[in-house]
Amino acid sequence: MSQSLRPYLTAVRYSLEAALTLSNFSSQEVERHNRPEVEVPNTSAELLLQPMQIARNENDQVLIEPSVNSVRVSIKVKQADEIEQILVHKFTRFLEQRAEAFYILRRVPIKGYSISFLITNYHTETMKTNKLVDFIIEFMEEVDKEISEMKLFLNARARFVAEAYLGEFVY
Amino acid sequence: MLHLDPHNLLLQKTLAEAREAQLAGRPLTLDRIVSDFDYTTFHVSNAPEDKSMLWVSIRSKAYQTVASCGSTYQSYLKDKLEAYPGIQLSSQTEAAYDISLIVDLNKLTQEGVVYLSLLKVLVVSYPFHLAFEEFDRLSKIPVPVDEPPVLSDVLFNIKHRDNEQFFVKPSNDRVTVIFETIFEDETDKIFGKVFLQEFVDARKRNRNIQSSPQVLVSHEPPLEVQNFFNTHRQQAGSDSDQKKYITFVLFPRHFQTSELQFSTICHLALFRNYFHYHIKCSKAYMHSRMRYRVNTFVKVLNRAKLDDEDEEDAENKNGEQEHTRKTISGRKMVY
Repeated sequence: MSQSLRPYLTAVRYSLEAALTLSNFSSQEVERHNRPEVEVPNTSAELLLQPMQIARNENDQVLIEPSVNSVRVSIKVKQADEIEQILVHKFTRFLEQRAEAFYILRRVPIKGYSISFLITNYHTETMKTNKLVDFIIEFMEEVDKEISEMKLFLNARARFVAEAYLGEFVY
Repeated sequence: MLHLDPHNLLLQKTLAEAREAQLAGRPLTLDRIVSDFDYTTFHVSNAPEDKSMLWVSIRSKAYQTVASCGSTYQSYLKDKLEAYPGIQLSSQTEAAYDISLIVDLNKLTQEGVVYLSLLKVLVVSYPFHLAFEEFDRLSKIPVPVDEPPVLSDVLFNIKHRDNEQFFVKPSNDRVTVIFETIFEDETDKIFGKVFLQEFVDARKRNRNIQSSPQVLVSHEPPLEVQNFFNTHRQQAGSDSDQKKYITFVLFPRHFQTSELQFSTICHLALFRNYFHYHIKCSKAYMHSRMRYRVNTFVKVLNRAKLDDEDEEDAENKNGEQEHTRKTISGRKMVY
């Protein structure tokens, strides 16, 4: 792990732990509704808390939007060039298509971010909060690693394929 | 499977089977359609009156433009094919096919079978053949001092797919082959860029393949074919940002003998297929990799789940334990 990654992840971890204090909260506007307050257009300011943005640099950011019964975590994955852009896009779309296996994954990321998670009080009740935080941290670590590995693989394969093809012309 | 074979394996097998059955005295009844890259189709069938004779027909997208490259196409094919015993170019072609051959199974040799399976390459080899001849002619003209060398205005254009074509251009010291290729989606485009860059760099980096043809890649049509695009303006205009031009510069060492010529043609004819095939392969690999990664993520997330079964088990430990058993996959059987 690089030197700047550790403090970044630590900051995300503590902020998430602080944000994940959720309680069951029925809607104040619609009777018999219980909905994640961070997701609905809200007129009551007391239900939303101050959003936190943690940035390692302009390409690597996390936005945590807490509310009384839900937290939305959005991650911007590093995309240095167009290959990484396409890989990140493919990878996040692949995950989002399998969102039901991930419970807390949001099918569409919020604007400007690569992938979003929505944690509600239901999730914190059925799952261990500290493990949920672990998951998000591990996810952030692994995604970067995965993207750079895939990029390396693509380059290595292209090189090998090109050399093998041109090698056929050597007489 | 790193390399694609120039011959069609199914065609080869079909013909070999037919030949063996014929030699064993039990001729096969055949009516088989075999397909190949670039919308090529072969049709192998018995001649109506005689089972020992086979009709082999080929339809290829490139045929139209290849045939218009020169006037000697039919005799070129005849020379090449009828060098093998038992193969004869038919004067009338089967409906919907471009070339038909009559194959006499009694005379057909093993080499003939292999050669027939290379039929697709043979069909597109004609412009290359003409280009090599033109090169011979040009290279014999002495290069004038102080003046630019004699330029040939010969340019062969072969449309081998719906929107893609390639060019063969002979000159006095080289033969240039230019492929125009198109990328259908964004991912292919980016992957293609990476691959093409490696094709350009491979020769510089690896000393062992320094004698291979030089490869150049550009967005704009290269100078050799610019005249062609000026006269055929309408083609260049449409979706030209998705197009790439890949130039192979063949030096005399790549086509000195006829065997070298043939193997060079085989490889060049398959370039587009090889290149796109490996782009698809990397996409498939990425996909399986992402699948694996998703599974590991799901595992991590499942660790977070509260395991209420365990708690129940702990409560039930005294007394009821013999009624609860778990299968190997962790499912509970209660009875």
